[in-house]
Amino acid sequence: MSVSMALMSSLSAPNLQCLSYQPHPQPFPKTHFSFPVLNPKRAAFGSVWVPHAVADGGSPVAVEKKEADVEGNGSPPVVAAVREGGEEEVKKFEDGRWVGGTWDLKKFKKDGKVDWDAVIDAEVRRRKSLEINPETSSNDDPVLFDTSIIPWWAWMKRFHLPEAELLNGRVAMVGFFMAYFVDSLTGVGLVDQMGNFFCKTLLFVAVAGVLLVRKNEDIETLKKLIDETTFYDNQWQATWQDETKKE
Amino acid sequence: MASTSVSLKSFTGLRQTSPEKPHFPTAVSVCNGSGRRSVIVASRTSPKLAGRNLRVAVIGGGPAGGSAAETLSKGGVETFLIERKLDNCKPCGGAIPLCMVGEFDLPLDIIDRRVTKMKMISPSNVAVDIGQTLKPHEYIGMVRREVLDSYMRTRAAENGATVINGLFLKMDMPKERNGSYVLHYTEYDGGKGGGVGEKKVLEVDAVIGADGANSRVAKSIDAGDYDYAIAFQERIKIPDDKMVYYENLAEMYVGDDVSPDFYGWVFPKCDHVAVGTGTVTHKGDIKKFQLATRNRAKDKILGGKIIRVEAHPIPEHPRPRRLSGRVALVGDAAGYVTKCSGEGIYFAAKSGRMCAEAIVEGSENGKRMIDESDLRKYLEKWDKTYWPTYKVLDILQKVFYRSNPAREAFVEMCADEYVQKMTFDSYLYKTVVPGNPLDDLKLAVNTIGSLVRANALRKEMEKITL
Repeated sequence: MSVSMALMSSLSAPNLQCLSYQPHPQPFPKTHFSFPVLNPKRAAFGSVWVPHAVADGGSPVAVEKKEADVEGNGSPPVVAAVREGGEEEVKKFEDGRWVGGTWDLKKFKKDGKVDWDAVIDAEVRRRKSLEINPETSSNDDPVLFDTSIIPWWAWMKRFHLPEAELLNGRVAMVGFFMAYFVDSLTGVGLVDQMGNFFCKTLLFVAVAGVLLVRKNEDIETLKKLIDETTFYDNQWQATWQDETKKE
Repeated sequence: MASTSVSLKSFTGLRQTSPEKPHFPTAVSVCNGSGRRSVIVASRTSPKLAGRNLRVAVIGGGPAGGSAAETLSKGGVETFLIERKLDNCKPCGGAIPLCMVGEFDLPLDIIDRRVTKMKMISPSNVAVDIGQTLKPHEYIGMVRREVLDSYMRTRAAENGATVINGLFLKMDMPKERNGSYVLHYTEYDGGKGGGVGEKKVLEVDAVIGADGANSRVAKSIDAGDYDYAIAFQERIKIPDDKMVYYENLAEMYVGDDVSPDFYGWVFPKCDHVAVGTGTVTHKGDIKKFQLATRNRAKDKILGGKIIRVEAHPIPEHPRPRRLSGRVALVGDAAGYVTKCSGEGIYFAAKSGRMCAEAIVEGSENGKRMIDESDLRKYLEKWDKTYWPTYKVLDILQKVFYRSNPAREAFVEMCADEYVQKMTFDSYLYKTVVPGNPLDDLKLAVNTIGSLVRANALRKEMEKITL
């Protein structure tokens, strides 16, 4: 029963991450600037990125994955250094399979079918590269890729199923042990436990707990999320409280 | 049961500095000098004013002040509009919805440009054009604030308001129940707002505080503070061939590099573009975010020259107390800027008008004295009309601006025609039109799908190192 309930959990793990606190906003100085600055380009793009070592024809640096081998025409993603105006080195994301602003699926063929895992890997590398080195958006080569071209079962197989297996395993272990424990304490067997309202509640709590709390930090994150849903209302409450006090 | 795999990282915009429970500014208990309290007296029993009309001062001559002054003077109230700088170029995005043109009878020549296309650009530079569902007569108007503000003030003056070029200093509370407020201000000559002015005094029965985010009126009535964002903007003159691209197109850039809790923008103005960004939580890094925004638009603004740099605070939510005695706040002074889009001009003008209408009604066209209950009616009406809008935009911001995967999903969703239609309908006309429930369901499923995919990709991203 617990296993079937866990199986019904639809999507893969919420990644309950939490970053550290941020400093309180400083009071804003009243003046606002209005000085003209000529030739912004020199000043603006002064940050020089240290060029990475270029992966030379070997397999991608990606972590061990079942289908890590990029087959077909796939040349491993090469991060090229482009000289711009002789001033800074700007790296642009380049990959042989990235054609016309989207992934060319013909280049991902494995045994005649598109290797979706490789597409996912390639997109992950692209996004990572852009996160580290944001690039200018351009009208000449717009990015048109939409993740929905990757079929739903590819996502399921890669992301949902391993997580679901993990969670089902956890619930099964917890369920088995709790059933044994309750049986040993009260003498109520498994079938009779299922009929009891209290036991059903415990079952629900166990499943919800396993679904929501996947790492230790998740408990804190959940509390913060609950605060967050009511934060804006609280900000408005202050003004409504003022009104009710008057009445 | 359907646990969404929205990345449940807590939203940047709401992190507290200290681990204690957040302390929200609560209304300070009022100690009114005259000592009156508890029972709200209806305006009908307010005394008729003998021999004069109700006098109301509007502090601040922006959209809120201008529209309030116009409505007041049309309603027969003696109005004084006090503005410190008549040629002020308020740093502003400058976008007004279509409905504002109609509702406030704005002439079409104060609109510099009609934006009919918007481009949303995700952290990985996926660019989506929205605006395909706009009808030919629909657009977002881009205005210059100095032009708009001056027009509205002039119109108020034409309707009988007295425009005073002065800087409001402080206000003395009334000594008795129907006493007047005494305003101390410095009057300037020549409308420039600098130099030495004369100290003057003005006695009025009611005050509307429309003096913006750093409102002095708000300080005088102890209105409390709000959280605010900093919006930083550079006006850049770009070569003509690049300007053609921005003829009627505005761009929105989202990403952690551009802003952790807001967006970066490129808005076309009369003959240049405004490139800017904003943030609530990382105000110290605003210059870094601005650099990143310029970097993302680099190809399109190449060769541009910065002609002006400006910044301004933007309120995130209303002040705890928007009204005290016969003093009410409107516009940015009250904190009526929406989340997610940061729109404030329309709400400022509308709140100014609503407050003025409440005064006109409560005073029966200026014949009676008003009291606090009349102004409360404006607050109730405002909250009832626009609270859902604010709430929905807050939810959108919390869901879609919280992390890069969420932003990627946001941009992906914007490619959908139904989303575009709903977005523009609600933005341009400020009404929420209920859509087709089947389409809504499809939209919900697609949204969740996008969020799931983007978060799954992000988890993979964390595992690899380039």
